[in-house]
Amino acid sequence: MSVDILRTTEGIEQHKPLMNEGIGVAAEQTESTKVARNSGPRKSPSAPNFHEKTYAGHSMSEPTLLRNCNGDNLLNLGDNLSFNDRDANLSVINLYDDEVISRQMDDFEDNNDEDSQQNVDSDEGNTPTMSMLQNNCNGSETEHLDRYGFKKQNNFITVEEYNKWWKDYSQYCIRRKHKWKLLLAKSGLPMDNDSPNRFPSRSEKLKRYVRKGIPAEWRGNAWWYFARGQEKLTKNKGLYDKLLQKMDDLLKKKKKKKPMQDLDIIERDLNRTFPDNIHFQRETFQLDEPPMIKSLRRVLVAFSLYNPKIGYCQSMNFLAGLLLLFMDEEKAFWMLVIITSRYLPGVHNVNLEGVNVDQGVLMLCVKEYLPEIWPFIAPLHKRSPINLGNSKYNFGKNEFLYRLPPITLCTASWFMSCFVGVLPIETTLRVWDCLFYEESHFLFKASLAILKLSEQTLLKNRPQRVLRHYSLSNGNYHSKDLRINQDESEMEVFQVIQSFPKHLINPNDIFDKVIFKKRVALNRLDQDEIDRCRKYVTTQRQRYKNYNEIVGSNLHHDDDEINDSNAQKNDLLSNGPQDYGSINNENNEEQISGAASDMKVNSNNRIGNDLVNNALSSEVYGFKKSLSGVHWNNSIKEKVRQMRKKRGKDDDVLL
Amino acid sequence: MFQFKLVLLGDSSVGKSSIVHRFVKDSFDDFRESTIGAAFLSQTIKIRDTSSDSTEDTVIKFEIWDTAGQERYKSLAPMYYRNANAALVVYDITQQDSLSKAQNWVNELKNKVGDEDLIICLLGNKLDLCDSSDNGDKRAVMTDEAKVYAEEQDLLFYEVSAKTGQGVKDVFQSIGEKLYQIKKEEMLSKKGRQAASAKDSVNVKLQRPSTNDPTSCCY
Repeated sequence: MSVDILRTTEGIEQHKPLMNEGIGVAAEQTESTKVARNSGPRKSPSAPNFHEKTYAGHSMSEPTLLRNCNGDNLLNLGDNLSFNDRDANLSVINLYDDEVISRQMDDFEDNNDEDSQQNVDSDEGNTPTMSMLQNNCNGSETEHLDRYGFKKQNNFITVEEYNKWWKDYSQYCIRRKHKWKLLLAKSGLPMDNDSPNRFPSRSEKLKRYVRKGIPAEWRGNAWWYFARGQEKLTKNKGLYDKLLQKMDDLLKKKKKKKPMQDLDIIERDLNRTFPDNIHFQRETFQLDEPPMIKSLRRVLVAFSLYNPKIGYCQSMNFLAGLLLLFMDEEKAFWMLVIITSRYLPGVHNVNLEGVNVDQGVLMLCVKEYLPEIWPFIAPLHKRSPINLGNSKYNFGKNEFLYRLPPITLCTASWFMSCFVGVLPIETTLRVWDCLFYEESHFLFKASLAILKLSEQTLLKNRPQRVLRHYSLSNGNYHSKDLRINQDESEMEVFQVIQSFPKHLINPNDIFDKVIFKKRVALNRLDQDEIDRCRKYVTTQRQRYKNYNEIVGSNLHHDDDEINDSNAQKNDLLSNGPQDYGSINNENNEEQISGAASDMKVNSNNRIGNDLVNNALSSEVYGFKKSLSGVHWNNSIKEKVRQMRKKRGKDDDVLL
Repeated sequence: MFQFKLVLLGDSSVGKSSIVHRFVKDSFDDFRESTIGAAFLSQTIKIRDTSSDSTEDTVIKFEIWDTAGQERYKSLAPMYYRNANAALVVYDITQQDSLSKAQNWVNELKNKVGDEDLIICLLGNKLDLCDSSDNGDKRAVMTDEAKVYAEEQDLLFYEVSAKTGQGVKDVFQSIGEKLYQIKKEEMLSKKGRQAASAKDSVNVKLQRPSTNDPTSCCY
């Protein structure tokens, strides 16, 4: 372990001088991220170049880096250069394969499209270095890798399958990029050397474009733009560097002591993040670890210092890792902040309650939008009695929100890592495109789409389960047989759901077969619905938990319980750290505990909300647009709506 | 065929997934992606019943839950070990700290599962890093220390290497034999009664045709 720590410190020192140079530029030129990039100091040094057109700028920053970090040996220099070589192979010129490029030219010429013609030209004009390097480096070395540096082959997909699919999909990507170029030109937005950093304003058309895929080399910029990253960065100028400084100090101080737990776990996960990706691998002849690993360490440690409430949670390594393939370190850091607060609130918290809430929401959605899939997942019978004594609450139908079905152990990882490692890479990226444009409800939509697509496989593997579900719900069964059978079929369903997404190599399977089908019910799901579901499930779970605690311990301090539940709920629902971070305070931890106590004060004002929520907690959650099978008292509904409106205003005042 | 549920528990990066992959796929990767949530795999083994007249092997199917190691995932653990027949509690013999984490797991299992038939096996992994003839011995947990603890707690105990495969199959084999033994005794004690009412903690594949059912005629 001490060896690792030592390396960590080296890593920081190597990058420090460069970072300080970079801050001035980045801070002054808040609007123009371009300048910050070209000065290149924070760029993850080994990031692939499909998104980095100005290779000249990149390679210039590289020697600077080397001069700064080690005059010690040539071997190291060689290592770093070899990385450049590899980058070149993955760079834009190879993005669609040579053969494809020529067809692209034809395509564009046929269209006689001035704009795209220019861009093809400029592509080539920009990359002489790359094509040279590519010639030096024989393609055979990297032909087993995809354009991001991942191995094409895995346990679920063969190289042949990959190549066969990629032949068509790369054509699709070219067509889409062409359309994007036209859209940008039409909107009067500059192409900026094929690295645009402004995009058209929101519209149905743009949404459709995003859903059909953002061009790979634009993704970093586009995600940053749609997630409003620059806003965040501008509000927190210099914070990332302060966090790195803090990390530096911490590591120096703790070198001899026992390392902090988060740092320790981060250290263990660094080499377990994309071990199949060339940018994350260390070749045996390399003495130093790959720059990408160093960047990953800095982003994760900085985050754990920034938000101690989350610290480090396994799965964030994959989020940060994927971000680093598309943008520089500081941006990746802020995107991680945005993902964990805005899109997945509470999901990575120490108690993982957020992920449990989201699984409850997903289960509600399955029940509502995929009634044909629900029998595969639903608990077949109620488990041990929860309602001891005289039950004030009847949790019966909602028990699955608290005692989540086993399948959620699988789907939880879909949310925690936003499908990284769950879906094949191109499919994951398409989901990410939509996530940043459409917000978190898209994760639910994608999950539902995957489950929908898995239906045939589920039926093939377990046709009798559905039948049994219905026959058993008549109450005619032997409970022990049932439990044994249930366990067994749960396993089978789990196995299908676990491996099914890994075969979805073609993103358009999800989009064309489900997401773009207007008549598919799940497409009615929107962000508002998910926000309401999240609140509902949070409250239900809290009520259930409180009730269990009260019954379990025979304590009847109801008021305390309610206060607690409110504190926890607010804790979960607030986009907390996102807000704390905006105050430019040196001592982040103090800041956060301060904010937390503020929140408790607030929670007292919110006891009333709990009553509202209790009223809202009808036995079955009422989906807005489809009321089939929902028992919903309209007068209560109206009353609640008014109360919520009022509360909404109150909250605005409070905030 | 008998079916048993087995769960792997233990600190992050001790090699839980690597052990499962060695057992199920007989493969090993130096760097395996961190497990998020849980993974489910299954594998069958054959058991030769020496006491019975039958010359046929009995097939045992393990349903294996591989879990994420980080502390905060602990809250999800009850879902995995519910109704488990066996638990493999893994530690890394090059990391002293991982043994105490393993001991916490053993305590949790004993307190919360409360099933006397649950087989708990303490498993020290990364034996390949501990070659005493070599200077590179990274051992931090002495075999005796873990062994004494395992005996006190009445656990099975092995040291294995997922990398070389040393000992991995034996672990599953002996757990399988032990589970089979328990199952057999149970069935004998409930002779004449329907097997379906056998003890809760044991899964028997019941809906197989009776000709395949080892409980239908042999006893």
